[in-house]
Amino acid sequence: MNGHSDAPVQEPVQDLQEYVQLAKDAGKLVVQPRMGFATPEEMAAGLRAVARVNAGNARTIGTITLDSYTRVGDHIGARRALAGGHPLNGYPIVAHGAHLTSAVAAHAVDDRVEGATPIPVQVRHGSASPRAIFRTSIMAGLTASEGGPVSYCLPYGRTPLAESVRNWDAATVELADSARARGARAHLETFGGCMLGQLCPPSLLVALSVLEALFFAQRGIPTVSLSYAQQTNAVQDVEALAALRLLAAEMLPLEVDWHVVLYTYMGVFPRTAAGAGLLLDASAELAVRGGAERLIVKTAAEADRIPTLAENIAALERAGRVSDLAARTDRGVPWASEVDCSEVLAEARALITAVADGGDVGRALLRAFAGGVLDVPFCLHRDNLGLTQTRIDDDGRLRWARTGRLPLPSRGHADSRIGAQRLLSMLRYTADRHDRAALPDGRPHAVPSGGGEPYRVAVVGSGPRGLAVVERLAVRLSADPPARPVEIHLIDAVEVGCGRIWRTDQPPWFLMNTVAGEVTMFSGPPDGGPARPGAGPSLAQWWQEVDADCPGPNGYAPRPLYGRYLRFLLDTVERGLPDGVTLRRRKAEVVDLTPEQGGYLLRTADGETLRADRVVLTTGHPRPRLDRVQQRLADFAWERPELRYIRGDSASDMPLHLVRGGTKVGVLGLGLSFYDVMVALTIGRGGRFAEDGDDLRYVASGDEPVIVAGSRSGVPIPARGRNQKPSRYVYRPRVFTANRVRELRRKHRLDFRQDVLPLLTDEMRLVYYATAVRSRFGEDVAERFTAEAAAGITAIEALAAHFGVDDLPPLDLEALSRPFADRRFAGRADFTRAVLDLIEDDLRHAEQGNVDGPRKAACDVLRDTRGVLRLAVDFSGLTPESHRGDFLAWFTPLASFLAAGPPLLRLRQTKALIESGVLVVAGPSVSFDADQEIGRFVVSSPQVSDDRIELDAVIDGRIPAPDLARDLAPLPSRLREAGLWTGYVNAHGDASFATGGVAVTGAPFHPVRRDGRPETGLYVLGIPSEHTRWFTQVGSGRPGDWTEFTRDADAIAASLASGVPVVERAGELL
Amino acid sequence: MTALQERARRIVLSTVSSDSHTWNLVFLQLLFEEHGYEVVNLGPCVPDAVLLDAVREHAPDLVVISTVNGHGHLDGARVVRKLRADPLTSSVPAVIGGKLGIRGAGDGDKVQALIDAGFDAVYTDSADAAELPAQLELLTATGTAGHRTHECVA
Repeated sequence: MNGHSDAPVQEPVQDLQEYVQLAKDAGKLVVQPRMGFATPEEMAAGLRAVARVNAGNARTIGTITLDSYTRVGDHIGARRALAGGHPLNGYPIVAHGAHLTSAVAAHAVDDRVEGATPIPVQVRHGSASPRAIFRTSIMAGLTASEGGPVSYCLPYGRTPLAESVRNWDAATVELADSARARGARAHLETFGGCMLGQLCPPSLLVALSVLEALFFAQRGIPTVSLSYAQQTNAVQDVEALAALRLLAAEMLPLEVDWHVVLYTYMGVFPRTAAGAGLLLDASAELAVRGGAERLIVKTAAEADRIPTLAENIAALERAGRVSDLAARTDRGVPWASEVDCSEVLAEARALITAVADGGDVGRALLRAFAGGVLDVPFCLHRDNLGLTQTRIDDDGRLRWARTGRLPLPSRGHADSRIGAQRLLSMLRYTADRHDRAALPDGRPHAVPSGGGEPYRVAVVGSGPRGLAVVERLAVRLSADPPARPVEIHLIDAVEVGCGRIWRTDQPPWFLMNTVAGEVTMFSGPPDGGPARPGAGPSLAQWWQEVDADCPGPNGYAPRPLYGRYLRFLLDTVERGLPDGVTLRRRKAEVVDLTPEQGGYLLRTADGETLRADRVVLTTGHPRPRLDRVQQRLADFAWERPELRYIRGDSASDMPLHLVRGGTKVGVLGLGLSFYDVMVALTIGRGGRFAEDGDDLRYVASGDEPVIVAGSRSGVPIPARGRNQKPSRYVYRPRVFTANRVRELRRKHRLDFRQDVLPLLTDEMRLVYYATAVRSRFGEDVAERFTAEAAAGITAIEALAAHFGVDDLPPLDLEALSRPFADRRFAGRADFTRAVLDLIEDDLRHAEQGNVDGPRKAACDVLRDTRGVLRLAVDFSGLTPESHRGDFLAWFTPLASFLAAGPPLLRLRQTKALIESGVLVVAGPSVSFDADQEIGRFVVSSPQVSDDRIELDAVIDGRIPAPDLARDLAPLPSRLREAGLWTGYVNAHGDASFATGGVAVTGAPFHPVRRDGRPETGLYVLGIPSEHTRWFTQVGSGRPGDWTEFTRDADAIAASLASGVPVVERAGELL
Repeated sequence: MTALQERARRIVLSTVSSDSHTWNLVFLQLLFEEHGYEVVNLGPCVPDAVLLDAVREHAPDLVVISTVNGHGHLDGARVVRKLRADPLTSSVPAVIGGKLGIRGAGDGDKVQALIDAGFDAVYTDSADAAELPAQLELLTATGTAGHRTHECVA
């Protein structure tokens, strides 16, 4: 069959399937151009350039795309054009021959790296008769190509389908055999997922792709890829990719290795470069979210001509960057695991099973097209019946307008006719949408580059939020160097580079509440190069470097140590700034900010001024005016020099030295701050904890007071389960999904208890029981349980019974967070015993871990789904009543109680302190009062009989919630008075709720002025905007996928960077 | 009215031999059908002989050639000369339009060359498709190849 055994043989280049698999294992999308040049020199240079991109974010595969003479088998025409110097629209592989082509393909390697492995090269052609092309390719050592008997026949030209199937039959068998004879595996990619490029319903594309893959497999091709081209609706596309995977896994023979390849939109392309760029970005995001392993990109030039090499490379780099971001950011495209693909799946399955009867797929395809069982809309080919049409629905999804004779499960609404004008608008739908989206409306305009005056950005507050913005700004300015000097002014009243909460001179006994492995301030992981903006160590990695005693990624770092890490980040960022960008650090309190000539004039407490073009306000934890009850206690102490009242604040900023040893001090609140106060008043007074068997014993110094603490629940907040999750762990919800919440929000304002809580508790219960199932019956059974529970057909409890884990106590959040709700205690000793029992029980659960222990694993869901909850709550997702009542008053304390716990060690210490008598837990529903008669504070619990404890001091151990109206600090006051900051009001119908948070827009979070307009030169991030958004008190990013923390900072950085013109670079898309 | 006039007016819709684009053909077919024409759509990459055979077989009231690959001014001229050379097809009105490899109104020579080769009208890229049916109405009504218009740019 193949009489070319003595032909020149190139060492087979890398196995395409294996290369893709390795990239997938490394979490990288493979990106590939559609690139072909007529001359060997240009083609070689092109492959080399593509190989050079193969670093950093992207993995690349080289492409040799053939010209149209070669496609139709006119090799003489191709030679003539070459000889005459006429331009060809691709590489004429047969005319150039195998010898030359193998020399060209050898350039597909990064020549800058000694001993680099070549990247795989694929031959793309579009031919209905590919035998000669495959022969030359194989002789040149190229074993990967693409096409298909249907997809390279029906859309182009007039070759009868039967002839195409015959041609492809022979060519495919020969390709498989001759590759095998050379010890290599042939690879073929279906083109069936594209067909005419646009306006084909996804189910038919999926079916054709699977059928062509089966055709290849039947002819001995050992590795295949199944294509799918981006269509009009991203969610529908994710569904299609999910269905394609399911069907491929089900239908392809086990010995065939396969992957899925996505094509960037193949229809009419946007006319603007910016619109084209957005479409490319959307496809990269779709590839990641939809689980495709490989993406074939298009360029901005696509609308009018064949792109240049530089344009191809820019598109690859861009797709690589975006795909890297898409894994970590959230712009609304769901993950494949989150969508319901049943509609596409059912249609595609019906089509495939009607065609493939187990016999030869080639013959089956001919029968199917002849009978209209397969019928491609708008395809003019003679062998296509042409009874079907497609429409684009109002939601942007492609659906059937006419179904002809297709054996689809449902034919609803499928008999409309598409007219000429409708067709035209459908053909342009995607192009127009992206051109419109790229319009510069609403974006702040670039500040004109005048007179060498630098573009000044001021960041007020250098805690983690401010630093994250600076880090992302540095990354962005490095990627697109500004054409004008930029000054970043970082201003902090306490310590520049870490801020008040994380200042480096605080005592080491204050710990973080997140394990070090889950903390990073670099927006990307270290990549082998020097630490720099966008690539640097997590806290745990850095800690290990600087401290031999580092306990590892599951240790909790002292707060001052985190402060040092933050300063290391800032130093690293400063070193990594591009030319023309400078960082100025300023230790001062900003007390005034006034708009002035398109910018702002900032004044500091020491009387200095600074003019800035943009100002980021990341001012962190407030110290609001005391409320009425707090003020009464404070006044009481003020009038009596022997008493002390210490207001709620970061424990390291409390004047705890005023509390004398031997006195009795009340602590209001048993949350995270309580533990800080407890440690400061014990370890901080020279006491220590000694190991005593399995327990700890407190060895007093004599300088500590007696601590009497109480709260509403009367229980010190439970420990976080021993961490068993890897640093890059990402929880993918099954029930409480982002998609579901988005759908709910589209319908109406949400009622937290009615709409949100059931989903969240189901998610928790799912994890609760799945954890038990896993520990008893293994991972497989747990997966089955989870899948069935997620399907939601059977109630989770019933399913738990079915799987034999219904002996677990029911997961009752209310009961867990208020264990003493209805209990009465005969006296102090009685209650103390109950508290100690509860702590011991909690320690047992915490020891089981947050993966293996059902209770802690379930509670960890509250942490892991904070992002989903934000989608439900932020920017008035809830009705005002539900926001205030259900969510803030009831759920938020409950969630912090169950999920925000301290390290396990703190609970062991608490137990030891109670046992030693240094700590007294006062009881549930406590009240702290001022007793005028005896002149001391008193604390009592209505649930603990006959017990009233007199106190010499009261410490408010709660972090004050932000409330703009009560914030007395100079800057918030000025901003409020000037109408630049307003309080966020959640209003709906007649109801409204003044939340106390600063009103901000969506990303990039401009404050909303009194006149209702955004102040576009200002940005507000973090705690001041609490209540407009939820859970802003986050002090770090996480390794792995970006969380909102990094995403929000990046949104502001992007907006800041847009204020300065960039240096134009050739070949860039934007 | 005679039986012949009652028959729906018929268009043979084609492109040139080198052009594999089809969306233009799909669009024009729908447009013409909406205006009451019966359309014989020959699809992509139509060899000259296939077009001539179709005209002989279907005896259309009009031949419309749409091409967007930029080779229309060469391929179109060749095929229309063949059309005019055959007595069976020489009198059918024929028009060509699309991206013809002609850069706007300045390329008057190429438009004239296509008219000289035998087309009754030439529609360049800037023509408005919405006005096409009305103009074709005029052509099929007055209907002889002897009446030739110049470039129609809307």
